[in-house]
Amino acid sequence: MQPFVAKINRFTLALGVAMAFAAPAIAEDGEYGVLMKTLANPFWGAMSQGVEDGAKEAGVKYFLQAAESDQAAEPQLNLCNTMLERKPVAMITAAINSTNLLPCLKAAQDAGIKVVDLDGNLDQAVLDKEGIKITFRIGSDNVAAGAQGAEYLVEKLGKDAKGPVLVIEGLSGNVTGQRRAQGFAARLKELAPGLEVVASLPGDWDRGKAASITNDILTRNPDLVGIFAANDGMALGAVEAVYAAGKGDQVTIIGVDGNSDAVKSIKDGRLNASVAQLPYLVGKQAVENVKKAIAGESVTADIAVPTLVLTKDVLDAGKEPMLQYVK
Amino acid sequence: MAHETSQPGLWARAQRTSVEQLHIRLESFIVLIVLSAVMAILSPFFLSLSNFLNILLATSTIGVLAIAATYVIGSGGLDLSLGSVMGLSGVAGAYVAVNLGAPSPVGLAACILAGAAAGCVNGQLITRAFVPAFIVTLGMLGLARGLALVISDGRVIYGLPAVMVYVGQGRPLGIPMPVIIFVITAIVAHCVLAYSKFGCHTMALGDSESAARAAGIRVERHRRILYTLSGALAGLAGMLFMARINSGDPTAGLNYELTAITAAIIGGTNLFGGRGSILGTMIGALIMGVLQNGLNLLAVQSYYQQMAIGAVLILAVFIDQYQVRKESRV
Repeated sequence: MQPFVAKINRFTLALGVAMAFAAPAIAEDGEYGVLMKTLANPFWGAMSQGVEDGAKEAGVKYFLQAAESDQAAEPQLNLCNTMLERKPVAMITAAINSTNLLPCLKAAQDAGIKVVDLDGNLDQAVLDKEGIKITFRIGSDNVAAGAQGAEYLVEKLGKDAKGPVLVIEGLSGNVTGQRRAQGFAARLKELAPGLEVVASLPGDWDRGKAASITNDILTRNPDLVGIFAANDGMALGAVEAVYAAGKGDQVTIIGVDGNSDAVKSIKDGRLNASVAQLPYLVGKQAVENVKKAIAGESVTADIAVPTLVLTKDVLDAGKEPMLQYVK
Repeated sequence: MAHETSQPGLWARAQRTSVEQLHIRLESFIVLIVLSAVMAILSPFFLSLSNFLNILLATSTIGVLAIAATYVIGSGGLDLSLGSVMGLSGVAGAYVAVNLGAPSPVGLAACILAGAAAGCVNGQLITRAFVPAFIVTLGMLGLARGLALVISDGRVIYGLPAVMVYVGQGRPLGIPMPVIIFVITAIVAHCVLAYSKFGCHTMALGDSESAARAAGIRVERHRRILYTLSGALAGLAGMLFMARINSGDPTAGLNYELTAITAAIIGGTNLFGGRGSILGTMIGALIMGVLQNGLNLLAVQSYYQQMAIGAVLILAVFIDQYQVRKESRV
């Protein structure tokens, strides 16, 4: 069996290499489990930064894990179940959709673990039916974020402005994108009936797709005056398409998130505005409030972290106190 | 299997009986054991019954898809639509039960029927229209996913009847239902592939289609049955996941076809057909399951998990080729 052994050694060696960066995890008393959608996105990166700083300040131990992508619904459920093995005292979860984590959240509740809905992806009606009681929900109000985008557009163009407006939605079936697009459209109708949403199309959170949509609509409506995209990546795709068509001065473009790319583009005078979510603050306040809840204090059931409209003026002035949380 | 042992007898005999009869490669089994031992040493949470059931539960959907992949790839074919058909069937079952108000058994059957229907279309196009399997099933990957989104309007269909939820969340004797269904499916699939005429013909097809034809096997008909079976198994996987999360999710099973193929290949299925075993595939699926579960317990970022699984795949096939080359040199 000589060659056999040699081969197995090669295998274990490879595995050893694969595990070299894995420090053995030991159970800590009173740990918080934090489950994110994915870390492959600055938004979640900023949120996990907030969790880290919040935990440091509060003096609590936590372990944070994420699925490989924001589409990996079942892998996230399996990951969640695995995290329960470590018996945390609380599970702060950002579910990929409203149902994929339900069995795990139920098991957590049965084990007496506090469950927190990070970023508001769970559906209260569904939770009620399943008999799951969450400790609290924390996140940005996406409908309000969309509405703020509309307010900015009307402020810039005036109440009596007329012209076609394009809305680029997120991924079909994603609640976050739907809320932002609906919030924008509803508020715009209210404030400036002359600004008409001529198309509302799914850009699938994809920069290239958003650029193609923008090109198509510019062909159909050459007099386009505004674009609202449900996230910054798509807004930046729209910016490129608009400038390529030579209509940079004619079209006002608004994104949502306030990520670093968008901030750079706003400072360069290309993107007009981004409704900044403050994921850092969401992560930080989530940990602080879990600590309160575990200590037996009462916590608001629904914590809305405010959003902030970033424009060149706001960024250049730098006076806004919330700017420190824009990561 | 080359073994240069100085003392023939017991070991060699044991190897022959166990390995050749069960149609598995000993290496993959050893890798699974070594991997489990490494994980048990690194994480205090790994060796427990609840974690073992966790691994099986997490492997159940991929495991069922991997069974389908073994049959189809073993016959010299390919089914790239497995993941999409899994998503479609979950949505179909949830739609029938929730939107049409059909009773649970009908909803469960709808999952498997939807899968079988998609598989049947694949088989018909491949054998009657002479479009290569790669192309047909790649097309079906898009068709099935799109249809799942159309039926569900891109939203999750939530709130199944109790019996359906029991299939995903019930725990008779403490064992999750999906695990029970998965294990029974695997045992049946193993026996069929290893000991029945149907299984023998399947591998003969992958070994040499012209020889199979000369031997009187009805090749086209057999292929149609295989693709329909593959779709039905994808339907079963969709049913298990749908019942687990109490809803039909149109994005379920995204990219799972590649994971299922990976499990089959790690388990010793020949990518070009002619060789494969369900037991081997199950070991392949468990290697991935243990790797993922262990790395999750160790809180290793999921990026590294993907790297580790990719490395294991290449290594497994490398060892396989190494054996074959050594045997031919002897």
